[in-house]
Amino acid sequence: MHIAVLAKVVPDYAVPSSDFELVDNRAHAKYTRMIGLYDENAIETGVQLKQKYGASLTVISYGRDSDVPVLRKALAMGADRLVMIQGESDDAYTVAANLKLAIEKLGNVDMILAGQQSADMDRGLVHGLTAGMLGCPFIPQVSRISSENGVWTVDQIMENGVREMSVSGKAVFSITSVPENVPRIPAVRDIFGAKKKPVEKMVSVSGNGACVTEISVEIPILTSVCELIPMDDPGVMAQTLLKRLREARYL
Amino acid sequence: MGRIPYWNIQCGIIIDILAIPVFCLLSYGFYRYWMKIRVGKDRIPLGLRSAAMKIGPLYIRSFFTRGILGARIYDQLFTGITHGCLFWGMGLLFIGTILVILNIVFGLPIFEGRFNKWFMSFTLDTAGLMALIGVLGLLINRLSPSKRLSAIKLRKGFIPMEITIIGILVSGFFLEGLRIASTVYEPGAWIGNMAAVLVSAIPNGLVWHQVFWWAHGLAALAFVTWIPFSPLSHLFLAPLNTGLSVPISGPKMGVLDFSAFENDDATEEPRLGVSKLSDFSRKRLLDASACLWCGRCHEVCPAAQTNKALSPKAVMITMSEYLNQEKYEDTSLIDDISKDAIFNCTTCSACMEVCPVSINQPKAIMRLRQHLVMEQSDMPDIMSQALKSLEARQHPFFGAASGKKDWRKDIDVPIFEKGKTEHLLWIGCAAIYEERAQKIARAMVNILQKAGVSFGILEDARCTGDPAKQMGNEFLFQEIAKQNIGDFMALGVKKIITLCPHCFNSFTRHYAPLGGFYTVISHAVMIDSLIQSGKIQIRSQLQHQAKSIAYHDPCYLGRRNSTFDEPRHALSSVGNLVEMNRSRNLSFCCGAGGGNYWSEEEGERINQIRAKEALDTNAEQIATSCPFCLLMLTDGVKKFTEEQKVFDIAEIVNAAID
Repeated sequence: MHIAVLAKVVPDYAVPSSDFELVDNRAHAKYTRMIGLYDENAIETGVQLKQKYGASLTVISYGRDSDVPVLRKALAMGADRLVMIQGESDDAYTVAANLKLAIEKLGNVDMILAGQQSADMDRGLVHGLTAGMLGCPFIPQVSRISSENGVWTVDQIMENGVREMSVSGKAVFSITSVPENVPRIPAVRDIFGAKKKPVEKMVSVSGNGACVTEISVEIPILTSVCELIPMDDPGVMAQTLLKRLREARYL
Repeated sequence: MGRIPYWNIQCGIIIDILAIPVFCLLSYGFYRYWMKIRVGKDRIPLGLRSAAMKIGPLYIRSFFTRGILGARIYDQLFTGITHGCLFWGMGLLFIGTILVILNIVFGLPIFEGRFNKWFMSFTLDTAGLMALIGVLGLLINRLSPSKRLSAIKLRKGFIPMEITIIGILVSGFFLEGLRIASTVYEPGAWIGNMAAVLVSAIPNGLVWHQVFWWAHGLAALAFVTWIPFSPLSHLFLAPLNTGLSVPISGPKMGVLDFSAFENDDATEEPRLGVSKLSDFSRKRLLDASACLWCGRCHEVCPAAQTNKALSPKAVMITMSEYLNQEKYEDTSLIDDISKDAIFNCTTCSACMEVCPVSINQPKAIMRLRQHLVMEQSDMPDIMSQALKSLEARQHPFFGAASGKKDWRKDIDVPIFEKGKTEHLLWIGCAAIYEERAQKIARAMVNILQKAGVSFGILEDARCTGDPAKQMGNEFLFQEIAKQNIGDFMALGVKKIITLCPHCFNSFTRHYAPLGGFYTVISHAVMIDSLIQSGKIQIRSQLQHQAKSIAYHDPCYLGRRNSTFDEPRHALSSVGNLVEMNRSRNLSFCCGAGGGNYWSEEEGERINQIRAKEALDTNAEQIATSCPFCLLMLTDGVKKFTEEQKVFDIAEIVNAAID
């Protein structure tokens, strides 16, 4: 069994919005780069399946060469090898076309996992498009996977319930976050071991792209409309507060 | 005419000859300890330097003060005095017995003149009485054991030993009395003479004297043989353990060497942390052997006192039981100690501070934690999130609402410039990311600017890595520390002012072995020196309306680094200092140490206990000099009052200067 996990390296997704800066419509380069939130769940799911079925596990990423050290974490978590497609496009169709080529090049992939959406663009497009291009079934929001006689049984988590499905043959599943796939923290000897695992680099091809043009990107600006009244003297504070409330005609 | 040895006794020399096999058995008993302890690993060099005088691995000063004099035992007065009476009483009697043997073998004139009167008679009689009082006191301790003695498990084996000692002492007085009653009154032997009056009515005194003489001698020999097979083994193990303990406070984790992992030629990858007895160093196994289960550690441990899974006493008991059962390779040790217990430790080191035999409990716990974190990746959820954040963002405050620069948004803070700035003001993670703690950084910047100190901050700061180290992830700590050391080297940083005692401890203890040597000043010490040198002026009208301030000693500044006086000194110049019940080296942890700031505390809260102690002083303000203590106490106080009472020393001083 050969499992491929699609993973994207993104800028720190936990930067507080007050501290968030855009450059050329994308996050400033100063933010730490890390594997996307759901992608880590997908990697964890892959590692668990690898351990359960003795599968081999390949992580495929489309992005910058400089992200390889970040992706070593996936290898430390338990993936066997990394395929790095060197490209800078943000276009979902281009990315999916490249991922398709990489999967085809691997040849014997039985299942493809991906986080349900990236932690920066949050579109949830690439895995579905890749499945379409590969011509294989796609099931989103998967929380649990098991295999019996070449048939996958998967649980899909919906907002108000769980749907169980089975699918045979090669398939793409997008993985959601559940307590069972909280990404493990690699042990130290696995971190060192990951440095010795193979990394294959591929040159990307330029895709056709969608007929979609990005016009602008905006992030909400938090403006404080709060006046802080000094509370050194409670009397003065109360007077100021009263005055302000009257000025605003609340009283 | 002096006393005659073997008076009324035939073949008394048999007792002396029997001392030879007894000595052999005694040696064999202790040899058995060595056979167990040697299973442990050689000591790992810590890279720490101590100026203390040493002979080989033995630290002379602590060997005498804590080992021989037993200085720590007197912290608990009743036990201290009774133990002291017994120890020194028996010690003198032992010397007396040796002198008698020397008299018999070499004819040493001890039974003559003033020496006989004042030492052999008066002193030894008094010593016997002291020992008797002491052992009776200790017997009472054992018959109605205090909470600390019975916590977890009560150690057996003391009562038979104490009864034997009583038997030996009483029989000694009896036979002394019988001898004196049948001969002449002995000048100086005040108890013997009194005993003589009591026993003079007994018929067949000479026969009874022989019976008591042999019983006394044989019991004493049996007692000595018994020592290594009973808790009395501490007679030798305790001084040895204290002498071998590095006399620097704190667990002294040193730094681990990871080079074997990257070296392809390395034959064996090192095991990280400890999962079984044979992974421990010999010193830890000696610790477990020397432990008397007295429970003083249990009594001061913040985890044990709030009914958490951890008791340092329990850790030592489990280790000693494994050692006794020779379960050197049994990895169920971790489950027997319990994973929860291993993560409960706040590394406050109160346990080792009060331990009379200088056991390093936190180090044993931390080694187990290192194994869980680095080998098994098995740790509580919140700690794992903090570690993940540390790994990805170089700070542990995951989900922080503040950005890196938020704390200095509206103020102008100089950036450290190579060759121009003298001090690096190291802000640390808590004061960057936690809104309440940010005020410390702003206050300190203002103080330093007012005082005209040449200082600067790093434009882009990361954590020291200390939380990783405390959570057991030495690897991550070193990754972060090495980046900092590289940055400091590039900037030419030589002097660092820290706001957080954890950063202070990390820079001074753990950066040096990695190649980072700096003069590190904690902000409390800096503030005090600025006040004393007059560089900052306290507003004079404050003198009339000085507030009372209770000072909470942070474990990592006080107990770990002996900074007790400077913060008190500084606070005294702006207010009236009051002391909490537990202060200075006996201060009670706020609960945040050991990475437990990132833990879900169950049951009673450590910070609330400490906050209550602080509030009980009725002080108007509660001061501390650690951002983590500040955050924990601020939360803890909320249970009792709405009032904002907890402040950092920098905030208090900053509010008092012009």
